[in-house]
Amino acid sequence: MNVPSTVVLGLVLLLVAATAVAMRPRGTSTVDFYLAGQKVGVVTNAWAICGDYFSAASFLGVAAAVYVSGLDGAWYAVGFAAGFVPVLLFVAAPLRRFGEFSIPDFLGRRLGSERVRLVAVGVVQLVILSYLVPQAVGSGITWQLLVGQGVAGLSPYATGILLSTTVVAGLVAFGGMRGTTWTQAVQFLLLLAALVWLAAVVLGEGFRYGDAVADLSRAPLANPTPGPEGWQLGTEQNQIRPGEPASFGDPGARYGGVGQFALIVTLAMGTAGLPHVMNRYFTSPTGTAARTTTVWVLCLAGAFYALAVMLGTAARELIPGAVDEHPWLRELTVDGVLRVPEHALPVLGRIYGGDAGLGVVAAGALVAVMSTVAGLLLASAASWGHDVYERHINPRATQRQAVQAGRVTTLVAACATAALALGMRPESFSSVTPSIVATMVTWAFAVAGSALTPVFLLAIWWRGTTAAGAVAGMVTGTALAVTMFAVGTVTDLPLVGEVLVTPTIVAAPVAAAVTVVVSRRSRVPDDVERSWLVMHGTAADRHAERLARLTVAEGRRAKGGRRRARR
Amino acid sequence: MDDGVDDRDTPAEVDATFRTLRRVAVGYFAVFLAAIVGFPLLAVTLDWWSASRLVGGMSPGFLMAAFGLYAFFAVIGVAAASLSSAVEARMLGGPAPEGGPLAGEGEEP
Repeated sequence: MNVPSTVVLGLVLLLVAATAVAMRPRGTSTVDFYLAGQKVGVVTNAWAICGDYFSAASFLGVAAAVYVSGLDGAWYAVGFAAGFVPVLLFVAAPLRRFGEFSIPDFLGRRLGSERVRLVAVGVVQLVILSYLVPQAVGSGITWQLLVGQGVAGLSPYATGILLSTTVVAGLVAFGGMRGTTWTQAVQFLLLLAALVWLAAVVLGEGFRYGDAVADLSRAPLANPTPGPEGWQLGTEQNQIRPGEPASFGDPGARYGGVGQFALIVTLAMGTAGLPHVMNRYFTSPTGTAARTTTVWVLCLAGAFYALAVMLGTAARELIPGAVDEHPWLRELTVDGVLRVPEHALPVLGRIYGGDAGLGVVAAGALVAVMSTVAGLLLASAASWGHDVYERHINPRATQRQAVQAGRVTTLVAACATAALALGMRPESFSSVTPSIVATMVTWAFAVAGSALTPVFLLAIWWRGTTAAGAVAGMVTGTALAVTMFAVGTVTDLPLVGEVLVTPTIVAAPVAAAVTVVVSRRSRVPDDVERSWLVMHGTAADRHAERLARLTVAEGRRAKGGRRRARR
Repeated sequence: MDDGVDDRDTPAEVDATFRTLRRVAVGYFAVFLAAIVGFPLLAVTLDWWSASRLVGGMSPGFLMAAFGLYAFFAVIGVAAASLSSAVEARMLGGPAPEGGPLAGEGEEP
């Protein structure tokens, strides 16, 4: 690793670690460890949600998908950004007002059933693992490019995975939600700064976005594929107009007609079922604050993804012309096109900012991985520690024991993630998927959107939802999503194949229908009216706001009194 | 579950607010769904949408995927959040007037 990259990376990691230490939990209660005392402000929480949500799939994956597939890759950005609209409309405020620790906790209490809680824990863990593995893969890819060498006989890829998961697991186990909130907020600001810096540098060097799209769309889109005679460029076929070559600015480079909608719907509906993102809403002081937080997230997400799409386009346009001037690009490219599309942003950073530029972008990528992994590990800890350990294994656990259980769970989940990611080889997927990182995250969105979102929405908006209905809906959604995915991966069926690999468009309506049918045949929880008052009333919000106003007024009075006494 | 429910939110008030908010949410969701399904549909069905060139050489389809849809999501978010919060502020938080529910089906208190 060169000196400038090391310095940049070291500074970033130092800042994150210092934040974690400064903002560590002050008490040992589970509300403090899992929910940061439920006192996280609107803007801080919005930054932390962005840090949580903008993972390697967003930072490296979206630019990579646009780099490989043009307009079809941009649908990833649209889908990721769209996800917070349903969250804002249906989930944020009522979820916070009900006020629990996790999605399984919410469903278990709302429907008065431990069975619902345990089934939800299973689904949540599946989503978390599907989301964690691509993050670890992203960190391996970044380390490979940034450092290029391993530690203790390990490959660079394996070193990146093991180091990042170890560091993050340590930070989460130490900092809990309070420390994680602030490190995620700082990490998001660093991530955004890296993206803005890269965009500014690229635009400053004369990149013209519109001209680049027009220019790239004139020639057929071609990408490297490994073959018996080594890597070669192969022209992508248009999936909408068979027989025609695909073009960067037109739809069809990756998805056919149905696939275009299925991907966006899968990503848009999946966000409301993502445990690490939804858990953040429980840290807001009120339901109204949770709603306002989501508006901030929508605005920040729009800016972030617009930049990511632009930089994916910039990489496609600018890298071929830079190969002669930068010989190190030859081993990463085939006729000017990157073999691993996730290298798009780091390579752009190195071209325009030298080794320090590579350090900035690579640090951004590692930060994106770390903040998301932190949120996922914490969500995993909350569901195992709170929903399983405290409820079923040791119901008499002290607060200290419960927090310890959460810490142990964090470490176990980190080990499982690292083990799975070590078994992956990202370069072997580039011919079948626009970005392995973004595609794997889509699996997590698919399970979340198929199994959790329908049940979640019905539990919030339909009084008739029952425990039996919720269990049937979650099991159906999960089974259908996983089966469709497995079939879609091993078969190559035209038209149907695209729906199979983005199954939410089918699985979510089926899961919702099963939930409704089974609920109609079973008994509604006795305290549903009480739940309704808490979820859809604002008395608790007003109470919290009054308390906050009184605290501020009291603080001012005390400050004024001290001033008068000094005079 | 939080126990901060005080006696100023009656079941009738909350039910009326819930129904109004549900209508707001479903209405905005319909617009949102029309957009996220409609724009890819235009890209697939309308040649002009992908072939013509607007700002700086970008097609309308690419322009929407690059900028337009994010701005649209933000606008929808701001509008829905403002309306939902205004509905809650008007329909909850005060003593019910005599002679009936605070607000039935979106009526103002």
